[in-house]
Amino acid sequence: MRSTLRVGLPLVLAGLFAAGCMLPPVPKTEAGQDVFNLYLLVLGLAAIVFIGVEGFILYAVFRYRRKPGDDVLPEQLHGNNTVELIWTAIPTVIVFILFVFSMITLGVVEARDEQQEATTIEVDAFTWQWTFRYENGASQTGSPTNTPVLAVPVGEPVRLILNSLDVNHAFYVPEFLLKRDVVDFGDARGPNELAFTVTEEGTYAGQCAEFCGLAHADMIFEVQAMPRGEFDAYLEALASGEPPPTGDEDCETTIELAAVESIQFDADTIQAPAGQDFCIEFTNNDIVPHDVGIVETDFDGDDVAPGESITYLIPAMDAGEYQFICTLHPQAMVGVLTVGE
Amino acid sequence: MATTTLEPPAGAPAYQRFWVLDWLTTVDHKKIGILYIVNSFLFFFAAGILALVVRSELAVPGLQIVDQDTFNQAFTMHGTIMLFLFIIPALSGFANYIVPLQLGAPDMAFPRINALSFWLLPLGGGLIFSGYLFGGAAAEGWTGYAPLTQQGGVGTDLWIIGLLLVGTASILGAVNFITTVFKMRAPGMTLFRMPIFVWTVLVTAVLILLATPVLAAGLIALFIDRNYGGSFFDPSVGGNPILWQHIFWFFGHPEVYIVILPAMGVVSEVLPVFSRKPLFGYKAFVFATIAIGFLSWTVWAHHMFTTGAVFLPFFSFMTALIAIPTGIKMFNWLATLWRGKLMLTTAMLFALGFISMFLIGGISGVMLASPPIDFHVQDTYFVVAHLHYVFFGGSVFGVFAATYYWFPKMTGKKLNEPLGKVHFWIHFIGFNLAFFPMHQLGLSGMPRRVSDYSPDAGWTILNMVSTVGAFMIAVSILPFLVNVVATFINGEPAGDDPWEGNTLEWATTSPPPPYNFDRLPPIHSERPLFFLTHGHGHAAERPADLEEDEAEDVEHRKGLV
Repeated sequence: MRSTLRVGLPLVLAGLFAAGCMLPPVPKTEAGQDVFNLYLLVLGLAAIVFIGVEGFILYAVFRYRRKPGDDVLPEQLHGNNTVELIWTAIPTVIVFILFVFSMITLGVVEARDEQQEATTIEVDAFTWQWTFRYENGASQTGSPTNTPVLAVPVGEPVRLILNSLDVNHAFYVPEFLLKRDVVDFGDARGPNELAFTVTEEGTYAGQCAEFCGLAHADMIFEVQAMPRGEFDAYLEALASGEPPPTGDEDCETTIELAAVESIQFDADTIQAPAGQDFCIEFTNNDIVPHDVGIVETDFDGDDVAPGESITYLIPAMDAGEYQFICTLHPQAMVGVLTVGE
Repeated sequence: MATTTLEPPAGAPAYQRFWVLDWLTTVDHKKIGILYIVNSFLFFFAAGILALVVRSELAVPGLQIVDQDTFNQAFTMHGTIMLFLFIIPALSGFANYIVPLQLGAPDMAFPRINALSFWLLPLGGGLIFSGYLFGGAAAEGWTGYAPLTQQGGVGTDLWIIGLLLVGTASILGAVNFITTVFKMRAPGMTLFRMPIFVWTVLVTAVLILLATPVLAAGLIALFIDRNYGGSFFDPSVGGNPILWQHIFWFFGHPEVYIVILPAMGVVSEVLPVFSRKPLFGYKAFVFATIAIGFLSWTVWAHHMFTTGAVFLPFFSFMTALIAIPTGIKMFNWLATLWRGKLMLTTAMLFALGFISMFLIGGISGVMLASPPIDFHVQDTYFVVAHLHYVFFGGSVFGVFAATYYWFPKMTGKKLNEPLGKVHFWIHFIGFNLAFFPMHQLGLSGMPRRVSDYSPDAGWTILNMVSTVGAFMIAVSILPFLVNVVATFINGEPAGDDPWEGNTLEWATTSPPPPYNFDRLPPIHSERPLFFLTHGHGHAAERPADLEEDEAEDVEHRKGLV
């Protein structure tokens, strides 16, 4: 008995400690609260099974260890149908409890997907960045130096329409306890949606959870949950802050540059004259947004949607070598701009 | 503790080839088994180094050691190589060596095909690795999700072709195992007297035979997509990227059982021998194995809960059901320990390690079967923790249990026990340090397959602990290697039956001669050797059968003479 306690007590404490460490974040959405409660139930069942089985293994190792020189065989037990039935029943009961409560919670989570009255926001996920488009036409595309912000009204249902412009991504905000893949289903069906109601004002980190290539780890965003009034003001500011589209400029020198499929420029090097303004006529032949920026001069052109083109006017530069990049994809799209006499 | 003497004794064969040529051309299942195992461990070390690259990079925030591309190649190759070129072939190697012996057979049914399925492995593995020589290995993750796989370079094509060869090897091996089990059993070895390890290998072979061709078809379709303008999986030309996930996981989930069932078989051999009791509930165990085999076909889409494109209740329910046969196995293992006389050899420690660690992987698996919980932790480190508790805590512990248990049979020498225990404890502690914290990392939202994370995310300490654990695992391999080499050079002779085993492999010499047996003991139960050693005084079952069998044996021996 004492040896049982000696082994059992630390094990129970270790088990409880391990379980206590294993918690998701405090949920910040209504559905997340249900998921959290379900998780607690499942964790409780898991802890019971864990402590029971590991406890028995340790007990057996101490209690039934063979003494040196003991050559007598233990009783040769081959089995027992009654106990087999009992321990078929135990996991059966556990998994049925788990299944029933999972389905109840799933019903709650999915009911949110069907809410009609919701603020709808279009989410465009593309290789390593996000664009968030709002009902009033305002939108924001992020870049590695400018984390995109998804603004949502707090306490109101929000519905996201999850469009992928290329490979699979996943929209994930840990504190919402929710995730949904962002997949281009082609003609098979429409995009996935994700509905939730944020319960608390604040800024929550989010990130792509489905591996999407080279800079998957950089594909982060931020959710800012704010009261309705602030949300409307934010959208208005975002809409009016949109810079006007750049018109065609008259340039003495125009360089043609294009973005092509799989996140690349069509040229590694381009040349421009020194000491005078010049233009870059940039065409986006890829399936995701791109732009052109020049690292050393802080020039950062407007984003260009797939299939569109733009003419950037670049202020005069001194002779030398510069790096041009797509500021949305600096991990993969880099070239050399040589400015000469 | 020899129980039989071979006449004539196993010795030099009449006709001897130069040893290199002999190993290169052998069709002996024992030599092929050893080739499998050695080859698998070489790939294990290579993929282990890649794991250390991944863990080193993640130890602290920021990119310090490798760039993103190298990182992505490292975790892709790590997963692919560990699964397809270490765990599966290592267990196949033990099966190759042990199954004919346990059945009392002279060899596998098709020895030449056996050699072919081995030699395809280094070729396929070499092709997968050769991506590093041609502009970078595949970097899309071992699951190769479309349409990302459209983008990779030559490395991705080499990955596809290499996997096709490895898959072909698996299919050929499966045909061979199934035929061997059904056609090569010794007289008296009925299906329900086969050792549990043979049963698990049989069910595994059926799963391989049905699942691997599906993967092969998917890989060929992917190759067509990439090189000949096909449109199976690319939505921009009318394909469906979810189709790839269905194909991959329709193979991929049976694959999990392909990887775990033979390891369960190993544990079910080791636990009874070192508890000095029979396996509790032999038939229940067999039926549970078959049930897992059947259920494994109905659960694949639990990998796809967050795609929004699968019917959740069905796949959730079927996945939860698998916990029932698995639970039965767990209880039977525990009951085997109950009132036994446990001998804590290194093999036994690894077997106990298996059941205690696989339990954790099983529990987290049941948690993941719940769609709302999966919505939170899918594609996070929680899943990474889960799969390592199944594959590493389960299968790899099983591989090491098998290594310590059967090494004496294969070489005639026993591995050093104290050194083995040092290996076990460093390995066990390192494993838990490396993978237990990943549960919490995943719950707090760290996605898998990221090369970096924010210092503000609060993930730094747990990642550091995990990296320390990974290096402990690497360190634990050193005493293992020293042990193997030292034992080869100057090991303690093992004798025919060092552990007082139950099954027929212990009835021949160590190592066994070509064609294995000169004479077989009578087979009246799943423990023929136990009865030979301890007599029928312990026979609890089927006395009526016994007499019939003995009559059959006599007839059979007459026939042989």
